[in-house]
Amino acid sequence: MGALVPADLGELLRTRVLRVRRPVWGRGHGRHASRRVGLGLDFRDHRGYVPGDDPRQLDWRAVARRDRLVLRQTEAEDELSLLLVLDAGANMAYGEGAQSKLAVARALVAAFAWTAIRQGDRVGLVISQGDEVDAALARPAAGRDRLDAISRRLAGLAPRGRAPVRGLLARVAPRLPARTLIVFVSDLLDLATQVDDASAIEGELLGGLAQLRARGHDLVVLQTLHADELEFPWDGARLVRFVDPRGLRVDVEGAASSLRARYLERLGAHLRELEAACETNGLMLARVRTDASLGQTFATLLGRLAGDPGAAVAP
Amino acid sequence: MTLLAPALLLGLLGLAIPIAAHLLGREPPRTIPFAALRFLLPDDPTVTRRRALQNPLLLAIRLLLLALAVLVLARPAALDPSGVAIVAEPHDAVILVDGSAGMTLRVGEQTLMQRAAERAEEVLGALPPDTRVGLLTSDPDGPTLEPTADLDRVRDTLQEWIAAGAPRPGAWTMAEAIPRATALLGDAQADRKRVIYAVSDPTQGGLAGLTSTTDAGVLVVPLSVVAPDATPPTHVGITEVTWASAPEIDPRAVRITARVHRSGGGDDVLTVLLALAIGDQEVTRATVDLAADATESVEFTHVLLGEETFAAATLSLDLPEDPLPIDDTRHAWLSADDAVEVTIVNGDPSELRAHDEVFFLATAVGVTDRQQRLRLVSLAPDQLESRIRERGDRALAGTDVLVLANTRAPTEDVSPAILAAVQRGMGLWITMGDRVEPDAYNARLGPVLPLLLREAVQVGTAPGLAQARIEGFAPPDLSHPVFRGWGGELGLTGAQVRKIVLCEPDPARRATIALSYTSGAPALVTRAAGSGRVALLTTTVDRDWADLPLRPGFVPLATAVLDYLGDSGANARSASVFVGEPRALRGDAGLTITTPDGRELAVAVGDAGVATFAETFTPGHYRGDAETPITFVVAVDPRESDTHWQSITATDDTDGTRAAIALPRWRVLVLLIALLLAAESLLRLGFGARRRPHP
Repeated sequence: MGALVPADLGELLRTRVLRVRRPVWGRGHGRHASRRVGLGLDFRDHRGYVPGDDPRQLDWRAVARRDRLVLRQTEAEDELSLLLVLDAGANMAYGEGAQSKLAVARALVAAFAWTAIRQGDRVGLVISQGDEVDAALARPAAGRDRLDAISRRLAGLAPRGRAPVRGLLARVAPRLPARTLIVFVSDLLDLATQVDDASAIEGELLGGLAQLRARGHDLVVLQTLHADELEFPWDGARLVRFVDPRGLRVDVEGAASSLRARYLERLGAHLRELEAACETNGLMLARVRTDASLGQTFATLLGRLAGDPGAAVAP
Repeated sequence: MTLLAPALLLGLLGLAIPIAAHLLGREPPRTIPFAALRFLLPDDPTVTRRRALQNPLLLAIRLLLLALAVLVLARPAALDPSGVAIVAEPHDAVILVDGSAGMTLRVGEQTLMQRAAERAEEVLGALPPDTRVGLLTSDPDGPTLEPTADLDRVRDTLQEWIAAGAPRPGAWTMAEAIPRATALLGDAQADRKRVIYAVSDPTQGGLAGLTSTTDAGVLVVPLSVVAPDATPPTHVGITEVTWASAPEIDPRAVRITARVHRSGGGDDVLTVLLALAIGDQEVTRATVDLAADATESVEFTHVLLGEETFAAATLSLDLPEDPLPIDDTRHAWLSADDAVEVTIVNGDPSELRAHDEVFFLATAVGVTDRQQRLRLVSLAPDQLESRIRERGDRALAGTDVLVLANTRAPTEDVSPAILAAVQRGMGLWITMGDRVEPDAYNARLGPVLPLLLREAVQVGTAPGLAQARIEGFAPPDLSHPVFRGWGGELGLTGAQVRKIVLCEPDPARRATIALSYTSGAPALVTRAAGSGRVALLTTTVDRDWADLPLRPGFVPLATAVLDYLGDSGANARSASVFVGEPRALRGDAGLTITTPDGRELAVAVGDAGVATFAETFTPGHYRGDAETPITFVVAVDPRESDTHWQSITATDDTDGTRAAIALPRWRVLVLLIALLLAAESLLRLGFGARRRPHP
């Protein structure tokens, strides 16, 4: 796990916990607020005693004050089900070393997994690449073994091929435990499987995620983007040939200056569209720049998950 | 390969201009794997194509054209592969071209003569300026040109000579031609070198026989017309034709033996057809199988028809593809009757035939089947002397062999005539006896004697050898030409010799000992003197000193010696000379000789009754007129068809004044340029046609 997570992020992870804003519906006792009244420590409410209630829950002070039998109800704390979905297609390969999109995405996934496992939550991992979906670790599970398995899986990961979106949703959706936190990590730049179906598949993905949201799951979309993709640093009369790493689209060659303006325009439009769609569908969209501090990014993420409204969507 | 103007190669830098223009314009685009390709749209599609090569082939061809043009200007030249160097400073030179028949050898598509012309041209082209060049060929009739600065004249002369049919048989060898070339160069000027460029093939008669400098200090540069490591082509030729009458078959039968030689060749066995023609009519054919470098004999037997004394026989190989055709045909005059006139001078005539010197010899000759060939005339010594005094040299003109049997030495006024006759080709056989005075012989006939005589001794008189009063003959030297065709026992075993004349050993006389006594003293010594041959028997031919005539071997010995001596002379059987050799003819008055090509040439007869016919330049049959039945053939010297190429060591460049011959190699480049220009035009045409629909 140490190899996957940069030092500053690792330092951060020691002190932070993963909390979600909404109550969860776990199977066992955890540290997340549960939809259910439970055996936690935090006071929730009083209610009148009805025969059959556990007498141990009587709030004797309240009984004395109100002169009738009152039960003290406390918050239940449930464990969280976390599903990490990672796009590891060749499109994620861009960048150098730790700055590559996949490296950043992997670090974030590892950080999520580590944080969750440490606090007893159950974690699942789905990796999609090379036209197939690796769902071997998809069923969330807790414990050291799971963390090790995830670590191994992530450590041997290399960007490859295209990440299928349709198959991914079909594989993941039916098996999800209730109220799962789904973290979908991708660059969301080009999900096309054919030359002309990028928008359609994107809509399909967002629709699918929205359905999951509607079924009570929490959804976080982590869009990892490299600075070059956002800023298009190439300029001038030099010839540049852009090659699709996934081998889908024809190469584009030309003077960078002639490409830049329209690229930035179209990219901005795409990103705005994406934000709007996520907003509409109640998906939490977090954009991660690979050159930003990972620790900062992750802290912000945790904050937003916990309900801190301060964090903005766009980096 | 070298360049005569290497500085011009700098022009190749010009090649960089179009390439640089292209490279600068066409920087390879930086390739970026980019995930967001979806958002990239090239604005102007022509931006990416503008600097692409429209036709790389055209560019390549034009670049090649440019490079070739520069290369031609730089004048590439190959250094001569044989490593021969010419003198680099201005000098006087004679180009000596081999004009021998061997130069007609076809190697590949060219004859050696054509190559020699090219070679001479190369030398002329490579000579430093201000060099004077003369021309000489080894053909005695070939052109001779004094050294001149006008090289074109040399070229023209050479071309004219070759166009006039050179080469031909009968040329000098190169070694023989060198002194003539030296004479052509004249005396040395103090500051100019004298050089002979010898253009020939590397055979013994060509370059292999040359030295690197002549006696006069002229440098000889051998220029071989063949590559140093080339192997000569295989060819077949007739090296010798001999014939002999075969009276055991028919009185007019002759047996003709041709020796066919195959030079070179591999493991295969070549079967060639050899045809015999008498006159114009082909009589018979024979096949002969020849392995590589083998000589085979082919024997024909032919019975002469008609009444003609001589029949013109032609032996020819049926080999149209032979690279050296000049030795594929040989000629011979066949005759059933070719007499050798033998004059025997009897020094010791006797009433008793058994004691007569001539009796045994005449009897021995008479019993052989050569009876018809050897015609004996017997004379007394004073008869011979008086004849010579009367008629001078002509007295011996009709004699092929003169036998001096136990004769006192010819007188001083007579002996010069005998010596001259021997020099002209007469055979002379001297036998010993009591009348022989060794000192007188040494004084008067010494120049032709095989060995000088000492004194007559009784054998076995040496100290301690008193008992052995007789001596026999040691086994003969069968390799001696006298015994040609003999084998094993001569029939002389048991001969007893009581007295011999000792001889003075003298290696300078080049005498060969055919037969010697058991003591080692020479018994029969022969020597070639001039054109004639001389034999010396150191004992008697009758029974005075030995019982030799009683031995069965005496008959063949006497015949063989007379045959041998008669063979050298001007008789019909050996009447074959090589091309170019003068032919000595006997006759009283003027002669007319008909050549193979039908010309009739008159020959004047000299004082000695001998005419010299020198126009022997065409191989074939020569004959005299009806009154003088003279026939002879002219054949190609087998040495001229020698194709054993030897390695020629280039003369050392000790003084560093020589430069390698540069053979121009740019002509082919010019041709290439023309081809490329054509290709370029075609390509442009095609390219333009392809582009026109898309302006």
